[in-house]
Amino acid sequence: MTSPTLTAAASTSGATKIYGKDDSVVYALRDVSVEFYSGQFTAIMGPSGSGKSTLMHCIAGLDELTSGSAIIDGNDLSQMKDKELTELRREKIGFIFQSFNLVPTLTADENIRLPLLLGNNKGNEEWIQKVISTVHLNDRLTHRPSELSGGQQQRVAVARALASEPRIILADEPTGNLDSTTGAEILTFMRKAVDELGQTIVMVTHDPVAAAYADRIIFLADGHVVDEMTDPTAERVLDRMKSLGS
Amino acid sequence: MFRIALKGILGRKARLVLTSLAVILGTAFLSGTSVFSATLNKTFDDLFADVFKNVDSYVRSSQVIEADFGQEERQRIPVELVDLVAKVDGVTSVTPDLQAFARIVGSDGKPLGSDGQGPPTFGGIFMESDVSLWTIAEGKAPVGPNQAAVDQASAKAGKLKVGDTVKIIGQAGSREFDLVGIASYGDVRSPGGATFALFDQPTASEFLAKPGFIDAILIAGDDSVSDTELSRRINEVLPTDSKTETLTGAEITKETQDQIGSALAFFGILLSVFSFIALGVGCFVIYNVFSISAAQRQRENALLRAIGASKRQITSAMLVEAVVVGIVGSAVGMIAGIGLSQGLSAMLRALSIDLPSGGLTVPSSAITQTLIVGTIVTLASALLPARRAGKVPPLAAMRDTAIETAGPSRKRSIFGLAFITAGIGFVSAVTAGADTSLLGFGILGVFIGVIILGPVIARPVALFLGRPAARFRGVTGIMARQNSARNPKRTARTSSPVFIGVSLVVAVTALASSIKGQIDSVFSEQFKGDFAVSIDSFGFGGLSPSLATDIAKMPEVAGAAGLGLITAKLDGKGQYISAVDPTAIAGIFDVGLVGTTYADLTDSSIFVKDTRAEKKDWTKGSTVNLTFANGTSQTFTVAGVFDGENISDYIINKSVFEGTNIVNFDTSIFIKKAENVSEDDARAVLDKTVKDYGQGELLNKREYIDSRSGNVNQLLGLIYGLLFLSVIIAIVGIIITLLLSVFERQRELGLLRAVGMTRQQVRTTVRWESIITSLLGAVMGIVLGIGLGWVIVFALRDQGLTTFSLPVSSTIFIMVMSFVVGVMAAIYPAWRATRVDILNALATN
Repeated sequence: MTSPTLTAAASTSGATKIYGKDDSVVYALRDVSVEFYSGQFTAIMGPSGSGKSTLMHCIAGLDELTSGSAIIDGNDLSQMKDKELTELRREKIGFIFQSFNLVPTLTADENIRLPLLLGNNKGNEEWIQKVISTVHLNDRLTHRPSELSGGQQQRVAVARALASEPRIILADEPTGNLDSTTGAEILTFMRKAVDELGQTIVMVTHDPVAAAYADRIIFLADGHVVDEMTDPTAERVLDRMKSLGS
Repeated sequence: MFRIALKGILGRKARLVLTSLAVILGTAFLSGTSVFSATLNKTFDDLFADVFKNVDSYVRSSQVIEADFGQEERQRIPVELVDLVAKVDGVTSVTPDLQAFARIVGSDGKPLGSDGQGPPTFGGIFMESDVSLWTIAEGKAPVGPNQAAVDQASAKAGKLKVGDTVKIIGQAGSREFDLVGIASYGDVRSPGGATFALFDQPTASEFLAKPGFIDAILIAGDDSVSDTELSRRINEVLPTDSKTETLTGAEITKETQDQIGSALAFFGILLSVFSFIALGVGCFVIYNVFSISAAQRQRENALLRAIGASKRQITSAMLVEAVVVGIVGSAVGMIAGIGLSQGLSAMLRALSIDLPSGGLTVPSSAITQTLIVGTIVTLASALLPARRAGKVPPLAAMRDTAIETAGPSRKRSIFGLAFITAGIGFVSAVTAGADTSLLGFGILGVFIGVIILGPVIARPVALFLGRPAARFRGVTGIMARQNSARNPKRTARTSSPVFIGVSLVVAVTALASSIKGQIDSVFSEQFKGDFAVSIDSFGFGGLSPSLATDIAKMPEVAGAAGLGLITAKLDGKGQYISAVDPTAIAGIFDVGLVGTTYADLTDSSIFVKDTRAEKKDWTKGSTVNLTFANGTSQTFTVAGVFDGENISDYIINKSVFEGTNIVNFDTSIFIKKAENVSEDDARAVLDKTVKDYGQGELLNKREYIDSRSGNVNQLLGLIYGLLFLSVIIAIVGIIITLLLSVFERQRELGLLRAVGMTRQQVRTTVRWESIITSLLGAVMGIVLGIGLGWVIVFALRDQGLTTFSLPVSSTIFIMVMSFVVGVMAAIYPAWRATRVDILNALATN
């Protein structure tokens, strides 16, 4: 799936991240330059320690690059202060984590609206209702997370990520804690968010089946971008992963 | 297992510090107060050992009346006895001694020292001798009726120097003297912050006491015989009708030390009562910290259980930790307490109460007491959490949550309600007529019940109190409200110290405001005059009775009556007796005479307080025998009873003293102005008269009534100060709990920060949770405090306290303060919460 005009929702150029000092330096990222296109579902894959999580954290403004730059919607993250970064995350980024996605003291509805509530922003009610019905949560809104199943919790997380109509949604192993049926359900919702709601998603995963839902896959190894694949299938991804030696 | 326990302790230094902090604070107050008491005792012991260092014998009157609170009134002896003693074989020096009320007026016209507060103001005899502690530092010794010396501290405070004219107020009124000398007392500027005016013996006796009379004779011998033998010889030469006794130097030293000791013992007990309250409050904090840490270690403990540790081993590991924390915390608390006692001494110095340099005394009993009590308290507080930790099922290791989630059990509600019901039952039994001592059980029952019920009440009350926050602070308020209710047990335990502190403060305030209300209404009713002259002379005399008669003669005055006070022996026990002039006092001050008038008070009749008469089973016509300070006895007939407020339970006619050597003073003078004179005019002339007299203070009716409540305020201030210790511990308790909660909620905080919560919002959330917790304690404390106050007032109804008044403004103030406490306690935990590393928080599984 390639559209004629691809614009980058987020990008890095020369992104390098070094941990440690002197003798014990570890390169988590080495000169990574990638673009994540608007309206696309991109997966980042790679073996453990390949730097895929670091890359995502740096795009999210949760971690700082040692050198190079990360840009979201035209904003250079390295130039921003903590408060600006926080507001950027609130307004322009949606998050889906592997687990512990929800605030236990808030209801499903409050959790979905959390970024909007934090910004004192009413949001687009029509859009929020559309998101809620897309993930089939209408009858669960007043429940607290402890009263929801794992799959339902993850659906709330997806809805939250979408609620503020962010520029980009970052998902870190969103199905890692779910059984395969529930996982497939979540991935279907994410796919629908891109196809029907026009969202942009970047997902870190090591599961070839999950990655096959994406439009495009970026392969990382030892902090480098080593390969790219468009319109993947699970088999092709698996083959590629084998060749990368994971 | 022991090694695991130790590793557990060292592995979590932050937790160790927090737990120890609670122990340290609790024990610091304990050790601080006992070190302070011991140091004070030692200081005074040394002081009096020093005072009587060269005294081998001591002669004084054997006529003494002991009153309540260990005060005593001893007769004076004629100065002629000095010459008799001087002639005794073996005596090298005799010094007359006198200590009485005197007040030095500074160069700015203001009297030094204060009425009724702070250290006393004295006058005495200066005489250079072997036994005198006073030495002239500057100038010369005072001689004759126009010369005086003052102590160094007073000279400095009053900006007085040798050659100045100094005004001094004594028993005989106020007079101007030539300041010829400045004296120092041993190695200090003035003893214990008291001020001293010194004269030669005839002047001192005449001006401060009674011409020709002194308090005692200090005697130094040539050491040719023992002190006992010397005293025996002296006693032999003194005529028996002079009614004197002779003590050895050691005896008078010991007696004085014991007297001060028992006065200080009361103070010491008061201090330790409050330090034990503080320790009790500390128990809650310790218990809470151990409970939370047990909950946070649930998975770890479950894992240990899964790989084969027994329940007992888990429990003992935690108890070992408690013992270590207890010992370490108490040891640090001990040292902190020494610092605290030094701080108290420094505070006294700052208030210019110069204690002689007795040095610091740390009794070994204070060390052992602090260590043992601290360790036992810590261990006891940890017992329940440790047992609970042992009960964790091995399977919990596999579970996801490690948070205390169990709701309050039904058993808890039943127990709590049972205690409260029993408590209320006791209280209502007492109101129905049962013995007042049952009130104690009632109060205890209600307190224990409320503490047991705490977790049940905590959730609904916290949710209710959190409403405004949720309403007006948006999502941060919603989260704060939910956070304070998410773990009711923890919230209840955290707010318990606040609850206890606030309930005591409210109860004491309610009691004080009831007493003040009572004083107010009673005096407003009894006092029919316009002005009063009031004096507080520390039991050393008072207003000269001539002032009242002088004022009564003024044309601007319709009438003036002095209310005298003396001590006399009744049934072998010292009692305060009021003395009035019946014709003068009628119509000015009504003491609430029942079925009688002042006219019935003759030379040989007495009025008795109704409650006292009832107790003694006296009726009109009963006889009462009084022994006065000069040793004479007289029988009085009860002429009637009174039901109003008076400083004493007995009233006699002043004419009883006419022609006797019974010294009597007025404590107050009540004045009614002439009708055709305006209040301002009357005040102006009266003020001048009183000032010229140099004694007492002129007050109008309102000021006088307010001044009567002054003592209540002073006591209230002291109790507030002592309860402040508990409040500090309560604040620390909130800080610790919040910190532990913040540690526990790292992931949640990380998530919130990731999805866009600013640091400011994180702070707001923690702050409101803290405020809700603090308010929860305050609300429960206020409710119980008012109840407690009512119960205390009820228990005191026999003492004449009949009306309960609610301290409305203080209650509001306490609510506001607990809000502030919540904000303050949250400062550090909120800052810590903003420092949560998002990536770390999200990464930990």
